[in-house]
Amino acid sequence: MTVFHFFNCAILTFGPHAVYYSATPLSEYDTLGTSVKAALVYLGTALIKLVCIATFLKVPENDNFDPYQELLKALIGFIDVAGLYFALTQLTHRNISQNHKFQAVGLGWAFADSVLHRLAPLWVGARGLEFTYEYILQGLEANANLVFTVSLAGLVSLMWLRKNKPKTLIPIIYVCAGILATMPSITSYLRRETFCLETAVQWWKVKPIFFTRGFSVECNCIAEGSPSSQCRMLNASKQTLSIHIQISNCRF
Amino acid sequence: MAGRKGREGEMLESVYSVLALVFILVACVELCDAATVVDVYRLIQYDLSGVPFGSRFASLNHHAGSLPFAPGADLSRTVVIIPVREINLTLIRDCITQGKALGGFLLLLPQKLSPGNRKYAIERDRSQGKELMRNLLFDLEQLLIHANIPYPVYFAFEDDKINTVLADVKRNDATGQPASATTGGYKLLVSTSEPKKLTSPTITNIQAWLPGLKADGDANQLPTIAIVASYDTFGAAPALSVGSDSNGSGVVALLEIARLFSRLYSNPKTRGRYNLLFGLTSGGPYNYNGTQKWLRSLDQRMRESIDYAICLNSIGSWDNEIWIHVSKPPENAYIKQIFESFLNVAEELGVKVGLKHKKINVSNPRVAWEHEQFSRSRVTAVTLSELSVAPELLESSGGLFDSRQFVNETAVTRSVKLVAESLAKHIYGHQGKKIQIFADGSSLAVNPFYIESWLDLLSRTPRVAPFLKKNDPFILTLKKELSDHVAEVNVQHEVLDGMFTFYDLTSATLNIYQVASVTFDLLLLLVLGSYLILLFSFLVITTRGVDDLISLFRRPTSRKVKTA
Repeated sequence: MTVFHFFNCAILTFGPHAVYYSATPLSEYDTLGTSVKAALVYLGTALIKLVCIATFLKVPENDNFDPYQELLKALIGFIDVAGLYFALTQLTHRNISQNHKFQAVGLGWAFADSVLHRLAPLWVGARGLEFTYEYILQGLEANANLVFTVSLAGLVSLMWLRKNKPKTLIPIIYVCAGILATMPSITSYLRRETFCLETAVQWWKVKPIFFTRGFSVECNCIAEGSPSSQCRMLNASKQTLSIHIQISNCRF
Repeated sequence: MAGRKGREGEMLESVYSVLALVFILVACVELCDAATVVDVYRLIQYDLSGVPFGSRFASLNHHAGSLPFAPGADLSRTVVIIPVREINLTLIRDCITQGKALGGFLLLLPQKLSPGNRKYAIERDRSQGKELMRNLLFDLEQLLIHANIPYPVYFAFEDDKINTVLADVKRNDATGQPASATTGGYKLLVSTSEPKKLTSPTITNIQAWLPGLKADGDANQLPTIAIVASYDTFGAAPALSVGSDSNGSGVVALLEIARLFSRLYSNPKTRGRYNLLFGLTSGGPYNYNGTQKWLRSLDQRMRESIDYAICLNSIGSWDNEIWIHVSKPPENAYIKQIFESFLNVAEELGVKVGLKHKKINVSNPRVAWEHEQFSRSRVTAVTLSELSVAPELLESSGGLFDSRQFVNETAVTRSVKLVAESLAKHIYGHQGKKIQIFADGSSLAVNPFYIESWLDLLSRTPRVAPFLKKNDPFILTLKKELSDHVAEVNVQHEVLDGMFTFYDLTSATLNIYQVASVTFDLLLLLVLGSYLILLFSFLVITTRGVDDLISLFRRPTSRKVKTA
C-alpha cells in the first residue's frame, strides 16, 4: 500500500514532464539532448545559488519580514535567469527552432528541479505506513513549477534570442521576467500576510480520508509578444490564463 | 586505441556497479515516521505449575478500534483501545471467558498513576474517586492475572496524543464501519520478537548483621532479634509494579530502623545485649520462597539464637489501627510479651494495635504471611501489617494501583517509631517505663526525609523478582545502604522454585500510524491517470492539432489503406 502511494506521488511529480515531452512536437524533433544539457546547467546554477545564499544571507532569528534579506533573495533569483540564458544561448544545440529550443530547455530545467528537490523526500517519506497529504501537494507543486519554468524560459528566449521584438512590448517582457524570477520571495511574503494557506494545509492533515478543497488560487497572466504564426503554443497561451497553484513549501 | 576503449569499458562497469550499490542502499532506508510513539507495558505472562496465565503474545500489527463494538463484528484484526476509567469489567470478563477472537487490548491508565508524575499530594476531598479507581484496578488486575489470554494486552498512560487518537477512532467507529485495510484509520504496531521463557530466575536475599555488646567472660551466644521485609513485587504489568505500599513501605521502615540502631550500637556504652539481624528477602509473592531458602541457609546456631522475628508487610497507608499477625496461639508467653511491648508503645503514640491469629496448615503449600516461614522453621515470629485479612496468592503484592500516591510517609514514620521503641524497650529492659529513646527532635529521631527519599526511589523501581538480575543496580543499592549502617552484609542468590515460570518482554514501544485506505490509493491512481491523459490530449491538440490526436488512434487502419 505504501509503495503504491509512492508510485502515485511519483507519477504525479514526474509524469507531466514525460507527457509534455511526448505530446508536443519535442519528441518528433528528438530534443532529448537539449533537455539533458539544460538539466546539467540547472545543477550548476543550483550549486552557485546555494553558495551565494550561504555566503550572503543570515540565518533568520525571528519570523519578521526583513526587506534586505528578501531583496538579496530576489537578486539571487536572477541567477536563475542567467542560468537559463546560458543554457539557451551559449550551449550548442542541434538545429531546432526557437520555440522548441526554449520548451526543451524549460522542460529539462523543470525536470532537474523536480528530481533534485522532490525525489529524495518522496522516496524516504512516502514509503512509510503513515499517510499525509504532503507528497500529493509536493506533486502539484512540481506541476506548477513546470509551467512556471517553461514560461520563464520563454521570456528569456524572447529577451535574448529574438531580434525583431515590437517596441511596445519590451518593457512588459522585462517586467514579467523580473516578477517570475523573484516569484519565491513574493510567495513567501504573501504567505506571511494571508493565513488561509496554512489553515488549509492544517485542515488537510487532520482528515486523511475525506477530500477537502482549501487551496487558494493565484492567477498570473503571461503576456507573450510574438506575432509569428508559427508558434501556436504562444497563441494558445495568449488566450488562456495560466493558473499557478502554489501551496506551501518554501523554495529557499 | 583498444586499450583506451578497454579502460573506458572498465570505468563504465565500475560506475554501473557503484550505482547499483547506491540503489540497493537507498532501498534500505527506512525512517520512523509514525504519528505517535508511545511506551507500552505488557501484561505478565507466566505458567503456574504448567497452567498458562496472562497474555501469551507480544507482537501487534492491527487496526485500532474502540468500545462499544458492534455485535457480530469481526474483531480478530482489531486492537481495542479502552481507557480504564470507562471500563466495563463484566464485558471484558465475558470477552475473555468466551474466548472471543480479538487482535489485542490496549488499556489506558490514568495519567496520575504514571511514574513521571510528580504530584504526590494526597487529596483528601477526592478520596472517593481514588477508592473507586483503586477497587477498579484491583478487580481488573485480578481478572487479567488469572486468565489465559491468547492475544497481546498492553498498558499505556493516557496523554494528549493518545487521547486524540482514541477520539478519532471513536468517531470513525460511530459511523458503523470498524477500521480495516479498505476503510483507513489508525494502525497500531509493536514489533518485538516472541516472548521466551526465563530460565532459572534468581532471587536475591540480603542480610545484615549488627552484633550486640559481648561482655568479657560471657561465653553464651547473645540472643538475636530479626527484622525482615520482602522487597520484591508482582503485578499485572511487571514494568509498572513498583509496589510502594506492598512492600516498599516495609523496606523503607527496615532501612530506617537499621540506621537508628546502628547509631545506637556505634557507641559501646549504648550497645544492647542483643544482636540484630536485618533481612531483605525476595520471592515474597511466591509463598515467601526466598525467606524459606534464607532461613534454611542460616547457620543452625544462629537460627536457634533468634529470640523472635518481626516481619514488616505493608505499613504505609494506615491511620490509627495496625495489626500484628501470629501463627502461635496468643496465650504463648513470648507472643504475649511481644504484644504487650507493642501495646505500650502504641498507647504512647495514640494508635491501636490488634492481634490476629491464623493457624498454619502444614499440608497447604500456601504461605500467606512471612512469619509462617519462620514458624515452620521453629522460630517465633510476628508480622506487623495494616492488612487485617491474609492476602490470597498474588494479591496485595504491589499491583497497578500501588503507586506513590497511595503511601503516606507519616504512616511509615509512625510504624518505624512503633517498632523501634518496642524493640528498644525489649533490648534495654525498659518495659513499663515511660522512656522515649527515639524522641522527635533528638539526634535519634526518625528522619522523615530519609523515609521520603527512599519511598520515592522505591516507587520508581519495578521489582518483579524474575526480572531482577543477580547484580541489578537496585540490589546493589540496597546492599550498599545496609553496609553503610551495618558492618556485615551478605548477599545470597537462589533460584526461584519450579512452580512459577515467567516469560520475558515486559515493555515495548508502540507506533501508531494514520493509514489511508486502499480504495483511496486506487481512487488517486484513477484521478492521476485521467489527469495525465487529459494533459496529453490537451498538449497534442494545442501544439499539433486535433487531427494529430485522432490520427494517433487511427494510424494502423490508415496504413493498411495506404498499402492496399
